[in-house]
Amino acid sequence: MSDLRRSPVGQLVNRRNFLQLGGMGLGGVALTSLLAEQGLLAAGSGPIRPEIDAARPYAARPPHFEPRARRMLMIFCTGALSHVDSFDFKPELVKRHDTPMPGQDKLVTFQGENGNLIKPLWDFRARGQSGKMTSDLLPSLGELADELCFIHSMTGKSNTHGPAESQMSTGFILDGFPSMGSWVSYALGSESQNLPAYVAIPDPRGVPQISTRQWASAFLPAAYQGTPFNADKPIANLARPASISADADSATRDFVKFLNERHLAQYPGDTELSARIASYELAARMQLAAAEVSDTRGESAATLALYGVTDPNKNKAGFARNCLLARRLLERGVRFVQLFNGAYAMGEGVGNWDGHKTIATQYPVHANILDQPCAALLRDLKARGLLADTLVAFVTEFGRMPTFQKGASGRDHNPSGFTIWLAGAGVKRGFTHGATDEFGYRAVKDVTSIYDLHATLLHLLGLDHQRLSFYNNGIERRLTDVHGHVVEAVLA
Amino acid sequence: MDKSKLPPAALRPVDFRKDIKPLFESKCYSCHGPDKQKGQLRLDRKADALKGGDSHAPDIVLGKSADSPLIHFVAGLVPDMQMPPKGGPLTSEQIGLLRAWIDQGAQWPDDGSSVSAKHWAWEPVKRPTVPTIDNRQAASGNPVDRFLLAKLAEQKLSFSAPADARTLIRRLYFTTIGLPPSPEEVATFEREFRTGNRQLAIGKLVEKLLASPHFGERWARHWLDVVRFAESNGYETNGTRKNAWPYRDWVIRAFNNDLPYDRFILEQLAGDAFGVDEATGFIVGGPTDIVKSPDPVLTANQRAEDLNDFAATTASAFLGLTLHCARCHDHKFDPIAMKDYYSVVACFAGVRHGERAVKPPNFAELQAKADGLRAQLATLTKQMERFEPVAQTGTNGPGRRPPVTRGLNLDRFPAVTAKFLRFSITATTQLEPCIDELEAFTAGAASRNVALASAGATATASSTLPGNAIHKLAHVNDGQYGNDRSWISNERGKGWVQIEFAKAETIDRVQWSRDRDNVPRYNDRLATRYRIEVSPDGMAWQTVATSDDREPFGGKANGGITYSAEGMAPAEAKRLEELLAARKKWEAELVSVTTFPMVYAGKFGQTAETFLMHRGDPMQPREKIGPGVLASFAPKLSVPLEATDSERRLALAKWLGAPENPLTARVIVNRLWHYHFGIGLVDTPSDFGLNGGRPSHPELLDWLASELIASGWRLKHIHQLILTSAAFQQSSVENQLSNRPDSRPMALDSSNRFLWHFPARRLDAEPLRDTMLAVSGKLDRAMGGPGFDLFEANSNYVKVYNSRADFGPTEFRRMVYQSKPRTELDNTFGAFDCPDAGQVAPKRSRSTTPLQALNLLNSPFALQQAGFFAERVATDAGKSHEAQTKRAFQLAFLREPTRDELAASTKLVKAYGLPALCRALFNANEFLSVF
Repeated sequence: MSDLRRSPVGQLVNRRNFLQLGGMGLGGVALTSLLAEQGLLAAGSGPIRPEIDAARPYAARPPHFEPRARRMLMIFCTGALSHVDSFDFKPELVKRHDTPMPGQDKLVTFQGENGNLIKPLWDFRARGQSGKMTSDLLPSLGELADELCFIHSMTGKSNTHGPAESQMSTGFILDGFPSMGSWVSYALGSESQNLPAYVAIPDPRGVPQISTRQWASAFLPAAYQGTPFNADKPIANLARPASISADADSATRDFVKFLNERHLAQYPGDTELSARIASYELAARMQLAAAEVSDTRGESAATLALYGVTDPNKNKAGFARNCLLARRLLERGVRFVQLFNGAYAMGEGVGNWDGHKTIATQYPVHANILDQPCAALLRDLKARGLLADTLVAFVTEFGRMPTFQKGASGRDHNPSGFTIWLAGAGVKRGFTHGATDEFGYRAVKDVTSIYDLHATLLHLLGLDHQRLSFYNNGIERRLTDVHGHVVEAVLA
Repeated sequence: MDKSKLPPAALRPVDFRKDIKPLFESKCYSCHGPDKQKGQLRLDRKADALKGGDSHAPDIVLGKSADSPLIHFVAGLVPDMQMPPKGGPLTSEQIGLLRAWIDQGAQWPDDGSSVSAKHWAWEPVKRPTVPTIDNRQAASGNPVDRFLLAKLAEQKLSFSAPADARTLIRRLYFTTIGLPPSPEEVATFEREFRTGNRQLAIGKLVEKLLASPHFGERWARHWLDVVRFAESNGYETNGTRKNAWPYRDWVIRAFNNDLPYDRFILEQLAGDAFGVDEATGFIVGGPTDIVKSPDPVLTANQRAEDLNDFAATTASAFLGLTLHCARCHDHKFDPIAMKDYYSVVACFAGVRHGERAVKPPNFAELQAKADGLRAQLATLTKQMERFEPVAQTGTNGPGRRPPVTRGLNLDRFPAVTAKFLRFSITATTQLEPCIDELEAFTAGAASRNVALASAGATATASSTLPGNAIHKLAHVNDGQYGNDRSWISNERGKGWVQIEFAKAETIDRVQWSRDRDNVPRYNDRLATRYRIEVSPDGMAWQTVATSDDREPFGGKANGGITYSAEGMAPAEAKRLEELLAARKKWEAELVSVTTFPMVYAGKFGQTAETFLMHRGDPMQPREKIGPGVLASFAPKLSVPLEATDSERRLALAKWLGAPENPLTARVIVNRLWHYHFGIGLVDTPSDFGLNGGRPSHPELLDWLASELIASGWRLKHIHQLILTSAAFQQSSVENQLSNRPDSRPMALDSSNRFLWHFPARRLDAEPLRDTMLAVSGKLDRAMGGPGFDLFEANSNYVKVYNSRADFGPTEFRRMVYQSKPRTELDNTFGAFDCPDAGQVAPKRSRSTTPLQALNLLNSPFALQQAGFFAERVATDAGKSHEAQTKRAFQLAFLREPTRDELAASTKLVKAYGLPALCRALFNANEFLSVF
């Protein structure tokens, strides 16, 4: 088993050779001794392959080193949220309002030529003890500035939505690479026994711009696909069909088990067979657990109000219910939750943050949906102590120009410098890393790539981004390709 | 050069790893390492370092440090070539070490970089001798078995016992055609197996299956994985390619007809040269980003990604090489230089994504006919000119002339001699005016368009909208129509464009349009008020036509050119009628002889120049690269720089299919092995390089490769050898006493690389769905044509894929006929490790998940088919629960139930009905796996 590529079941370890981690969650084990036992702490640079029991693909697996975070929430604002109108305050932009950007005469970006610099459409003010300047576009999130760790110097490789969304979620601008959640659940499994290890929560308005690619496992085994569901739309095929009674269902499953166990007795060496029997048992437990996690009847009225679950705006209420679902999933040990704000392009700037033409009227619509529920989620995670071991990353595919597009009242795409923020386990609170130039056009200080971001997130989860790899078609593939450095400055 | 100034060589033995490599790393690699190779010198890999750079190679002269340019440079003996240029020179000690290392023979442990390094896959295919095996299991004499048994014997292992007839026929059906046999076919085979010669019975069955049209359907699905084929564009818009399916059908036909594999390659790369246009769907089967932008960087990157996909997929599919690794730097493991990468890219420099008309067999004949019709129509149009209304200047319409249109507009006027023509717009439908072409024709016979830039005319304008590559002043008289080759002014609702002819000309008509294209596209920016003036000198102007006498735009009348005999003699009116009738007829004929079915098989055209892109960045072109093949691999082939698009693709295809090519035959026989046994002899089917797996049975691989070539590249011959082998027929139940994990075979070879039992596995998604349909009795075996859709219809610009919840007979065809979108998996079978065609998938992962269980238990498709299955069983078996159970087991498992199975089943049927049993059988391991 020295070379796992040879395993005929696609890198899933033969059960016989599986080091029995049994049912023990990591909590019950001294992690360092476990790691030492496997020799993983020994210096090395080769790939570290998770040992996966085919019958329990979601079982918790040890990280590469002591993690700072046990689970992760990625909040993805699709459409590209303007950093200059939200979190990246640029006094010079205000000062030079409606003048040409110096040195950028006739600058052509994604949709064409740019006009003059335009100051933020919402006023910025100092927030919290840190005095961080954020805008009135997202006031509730602004109030949490002391909890957040801003990276203002993020840069991406593409200035068009599809490839840029792919890069933020999968590390590559091309189609066909596993999402970060797939990498993490492949490496670490889950601490939840009965829920999928990786859940994607699409916005109530629809799937994100690159649709299911946001949570695809690509060449990783299908077990590590994100399972999409939200407060309005349960897991596909989860529920027992209405036409089948509970008794009939349970008798049928018992009969399946009877058949499969007989078959296993005839073919006793087949690990896939025993894995399948186990998968039917997990499916049954998942039916109960997924129904339970989606049932918010036990939540207090105060909690529901905090999130805005009863808001008359149905998109806001839907997103609020999704935020609540995210907390409930994290609470139950789901390893990776990806929460979407904004959907696919259903007309420019209608379904998401893509503000090319009339940003002043489009953004308040999206901000109203995002702000309160998202801030409530952070507060709730903190109040319940979950933020101590949950890592939160608030991301978008790229930023927007400090100029308006020529002949329009909106901002074009800008991957040269934009803002994302982190919060929770292992990251500095009330901290700002990196900066864009005086207008917010280009990252100039501590320039950070998406590879660096991914390396940092994996690091916080106890994973070495250079050693978490999967051999596919001639290459040891990584989330960070051949790039990436952990951004030490943001680590608490 | 004064060599006496060199520091002396160190006197001790030098160790490369300890003494030299760290020196190179700290001082040289930033310019001569993996990322940069200034002067083409690369010092991090043995082969390159010893070869040397462009100008001074070899830079290291073995045993002669004083003659080695490398030493001259670091010692500063060559003016302006002090190395390293930054960070200070080397110390005398360091130079002394380098000298000693070179003098001692430049010992460098092999790092696998050497182009001449031995690697099994670069060696020519040699036909090995078939081992002689004195073993009952090799009795059939099948060479495949002899090679395998020889290897097993080394481990003192042997094949497992043969599988029973039922297991074997089921296995043969699934791996060969991807469908189960009927209970009746099983019964017949069992009888022949029992009573006759087993090998004969198996041989007959294999022959029958390889001749089945379903064989091509199953194996096409494998090939479509390998070449990342899907029927949508990918990226966020992911729109459907309605005409991509003919490629899928071509692959099915190719496998069914046993198209020789060298020809299979040739047609996929250059089928347009052989009347099989759809085959080149291979080249453009991958994703492409259709979101276009005026940003030149984005545009260049998009093109570079397309070309990378064409070249990389070709190398991956046919050579099992990771060519794309040489896009930004020389390949780190395999002998593929960056230059090789760009040479192959240059072979595709004339290919673009898109649809092309499929030429019918009598294309030349039709083309001649079309040319004749065009000439007739040209003459006719000339004859009709006198019926075109002449523009009336100075009158106040609404006149006799039709309104303006997006397409062709004509302004005819009395002949006038002029050197200048000005077209001034004063109103548009909206925004700045756009004109795609402005033409001025000379009066009389042999009329010419004298406004063309190519006729020496020059265009000027009041203004031009900046920042758009497709809207330029030069486009107004470039002879090309359509919005993408047009001029737009930079003034709302107005603007003028002026043409100066090469010399004074007598003209009598002007033609112009906004978007003269076959497909209706842009109606905005249309000039609705304008005037046309001419001038002999550019000073004094005379108006010859205006929009004043046209019908108003947006009214009832259609735009375009009208003809009228008003005010002419009755004979003339009759003549016009005849002309119009003739035109209508000929135009219809022209459409019919020039309209061909479209296929998404790429657009072929002029080859753009190819440059080596520094670090793979399309904004950093370096030297020009001509078309070519991989220089380190046989056979040697050079492709002339001036080769056309078609010649380039043909050359590449012929090189790939040359019998001397060490990879092509090995790679394809290994793929066949991979799909039959679930794992290849080389377990990395698209990477035969140094980073890939080593063959478990190198001699067998080479024997099969040579056998393929010797058979005239017939793949069915290889299939037949594999399927009739004893190896394929052994039981999947592990050997004799080997069921226990601690058995000898398990201890020696737990992953079964030596094939001491048949490897059982779950069915892939497609045969699983097909089998449910076959068992339910609903499978529609119709072949070919447009695919069915597993997603709800959707016309959003960014296509949204929602899995359908109800299915009818249209969706009951085999899954290979699904119109397969890229990166979107349906919510029932997508969980079964279906590749999403975002990247090539030479090997599927295989996982077992609770979502698979939920999908098979609860999905609308599974329930519906369980219902149909139950109906079929009831029809076949009548009302008795026992008979029903027996029939259901026969159909699903191809066997009778055992006594306790019968009891349990009958109980279930009695309590909850037959559909409950059928739903359960679809979830049984025995149904889901090949074993």
